[in-house]
Amino acid sequence: MTDARPAQPADRTPTSNPVLRRALIWGGVLAAVILVVSAVLGLVFAGLPGLWGALIGTTMAVVFMGITAASILVANRFSGSDLFVGAFFGIVLGGWLVKFIVFIVLVVLLRDASWLDTTVLFLSLVAGVLASLVVDVLVVAKSRLPYASDVELPKAPEDD
Amino acid sequence: MDATTVLAALDGNIATVGYGLAAIGPAIGVGIVVGKTIEGVARQPELAGRLQVLMWIGIAFTEALAFIGIATYFIFV
Repeated sequence: MTDARPAQPADRTPTSNPVLRRALIWGGVLAAVILVVSAVLGLVFAGLPGLWGALIGTTMAVVFMGITAASILVANRFSGSDLFVGAFFGIVLGGWLVKFIVFIVLVVLLRDASWLDTTVLFLSLVAGVLASLVVDVLVVAKSRLPYASDVELPKAPEDD
Repeated sequence: MDATTVLAALDGNIATVGYGLAAIGPAIGVGIVVGKTIEGVARQPELAGRLQVLMWIGIAFTEALAFIGIATYFIFV
């Protein structure tokens, strides 16, 4: 009588990884487009400070929105470990917390900077956040995820 | 200045309260999203991959409001 339990699959990486990676890539592509558009608009309407505001605003939006997906990807590297659940939520939520602290510090630091236009910065940040959400929804809507994803079926018993 | 005025006196920028609210809302939202994801994975571990994607999109929408709310510091004086 052999061991009837299914063998542990060699690779237990959750199937969400390709979706998150695709979202990061497409988010980066769209961010580049928005960066150019908002930089041109900022330069036209507010001069050099507008250009800096647009560049920093769009970059902040995309980087901070992308950190969630990146932190899930990093956390999934621990998927084989016994501590996976704890490590996963520790990394994802800890990353979230640190991200918001950094964001608030950046906002306070940049508020009184005279070399950038804060209105342009705010508008391009909102545009970057909305664009990032659109990319996320499109990537998830187009993704193909199997219902039962992270299991390996036991092999058929062999005849002796 | 009478006692009521002194008690009700408020120093500083009232918008600060708004930044606090912009942090509380998403904190509750992300707490619910993550808590429900834990429940789902505990019930059906084989769905972990799907649930992670759904959790991520839920967090993305919740934190978008937080970013915009806190960034209003740039435009509100």
